[in-house]
Amino acid sequence: MKVGFIGLGVMGRPMALHLQRAGHEFFVWARRPESAAGLPATICATPAELGRQCEVVFTVITSSADVEGVALGENGLIAGMEEGSVLVDCSTIAPDVARRIAATLGERGIHMLDAPVSGGAQGAIDATLAIMAGGEAAVLDRVRPLLECLGKRIVHVGPNGAGQVAKACNQMIMVAAIQAAAEAMRLAAASGVDCGKVREALAGGSAASRVLDVMGERMVRRDFAAGIEARLHHKDFGLVLEAARQSGVPVPLAAVVGQQLNALMAQGWGRDDTASLLRVLELP
Amino acid sequence: MKIGFIGLGIMGRPMALNLIKGGHEVTVWARRAESMQPLLAAGARAAASPADAARGNELVISMVADAPDVAEVMRGVASGAEPGLVAVDMSTIAPGAARRIGEELAAAGVDFIDAPVSGGEVGAIAGTLSIMAGGSQAGFAKASPAFACMGKNIIHVGESGAGQVAKAANQIVTGMGVLAVAEALAFASKNGVDGAKVREALLGGFAYSRILENHGQRMLDRNFKPGFKSWMHEKDLNIVMQTAHELGLCLPGSAATAQMFNAMVGSGHGEEDSIAVLKLLEKLSGQAS
Repeated sequence: MKVGFIGLGVMGRPMALHLQRAGHEFFVWARRPESAAGLPATICATPAELGRQCEVVFTVITSSADVEGVALGENGLIAGMEEGSVLVDCSTIAPDVARRIAATLGERGIHMLDAPVSGGAQGAIDATLAIMAGGEAAVLDRVRPLLECLGKRIVHVGPNGAGQVAKACNQMIMVAAIQAAAEAMRLAAASGVDCGKVREALAGGSAASRVLDVMGERMVRRDFAAGIEARLHHKDFGLVLEAARQSGVPVPLAAVVGQQLNALMAQGWGRDDTASLLRVLELP
Repeated sequence: MKIGFIGLGIMGRPMALNLIKGGHEVTVWARRAESMQPLLAAGARAAASPADAARGNELVISMVADAPDVAEVMRGVASGAEPGLVAVDMSTIAPGAARRIGEELAAAGVDFIDAPVSGGEVGAIAGTLSIMAGGSQAGFAKASPAFACMGKNIIHVGESGAGQVAKAANQIVTGMGVLAVAEALAFASKNGVDGAKVREALLGGFAYSRILENHGQRMLDRNFKPGFKSWMHEKDLNIVMQTAHELGLCLPGSAATAQMFNAMVGSGHGEEDSIAVLKLLEKLSGQAS
């Protein structure tokens, strides 16, 4: 199959490699051409040119505005993609923006799935991402073999935007859990107790979680080098709180966690790991 | 002075009327033509568009709902502007949006002042609004005679956007203030103590505030008629939280308060006064209301 890929960052690059290795004819466009270096792919001059040649196009881009620009902007995918082709957007963006892009592409007969992922850079490298898809079931079935190159768990959540809603829910739970782990580690340390032992003790009980496992470990080792950069979680919390606002749903815990992330950003730790929420607690 | 006035809602109408009463020559424009009628009856001239409201005037004032509306009418104003025009926006919008609009207008040779107000419909009618302005000294000076017709406490806070920063700060204090008073009264009530007596006792001490005095009394009277509607306060707190997010600013109290207002709007209290936050507290605490 002719597959296009846009967004060769920390997540995108290993995902692109999995798709390319699966034997597809591969096309890429990169804002900075050097980020496509070493990829066995045809380099395209614009998203439109890439779209013209591909049956399925993947995007993994940071912000809602950038996804919208690549999809609908000047020389965007919409100017090249043919009727019946599919855009699979694996970025984490606002659900309403995802719906808007899908509707605009739909007017031209171009299909779209919002398919944000969870699992981090390691999950992308290991091809064990959780993929939460929004869009038509039949379209998902068409691209499922491609998604199976990227992840183990592929769930059709609902219509367009539903994948992004699921991702927002994922981020709410995960970052709140990181904050909870940080507070526990902070309390243990302040009480003169070994954090590593506390984490180890908790890992066998009801408080066990993947976040406590992975992020708790980083906190114990005071290893704040980024797995996923905290600024991305900060960005995602902007989406979460805006979605809650649009629905008129109170999210008091997420609101407080959002403020801790603001403090983290103010300290200049945005490019460090979100385990740095522990360092925010140590500030006062 | 020859003044164009754009936006004749609950706030804009009485503000424009006060300019006419102050002896200014006022041209009005509103999206819905019928809302211009009371002003035309009072002696205003009708404009055909925002550009027309700017044409031939020394000052243009806008009082509309949200940042995109301000940007749109100001683009029209710029197209009708003559050299030396000062454009004043008195709506409540994000400081960043005000700065951007100011830059666009500067490029078109128009001096832009952000001058949001506090004091509500009552203050607008009485001409006693608090006006907090941001922008150039010269622009502020030129708009001052108009401000004097609409308000009492008129402060030039700083450069472009500074007026909106002050207004956002005002909404932090009033939002948390209303919630604090509601919590104090709910606390008294759940303890079986008379809220009216508690309010009276507190008014003499350090907890005195205008919100405790006015909003507190309305809570005791269970008079939830607006005043200042919850959904508007929620909108303003959203400006605060968005700005805090962009700046990396930790505001835990505002964040918690914003969620209470979010819940009010979501549960159908948006059209009530912001003191209806008391009803939400009572619901959460299982208190009969």
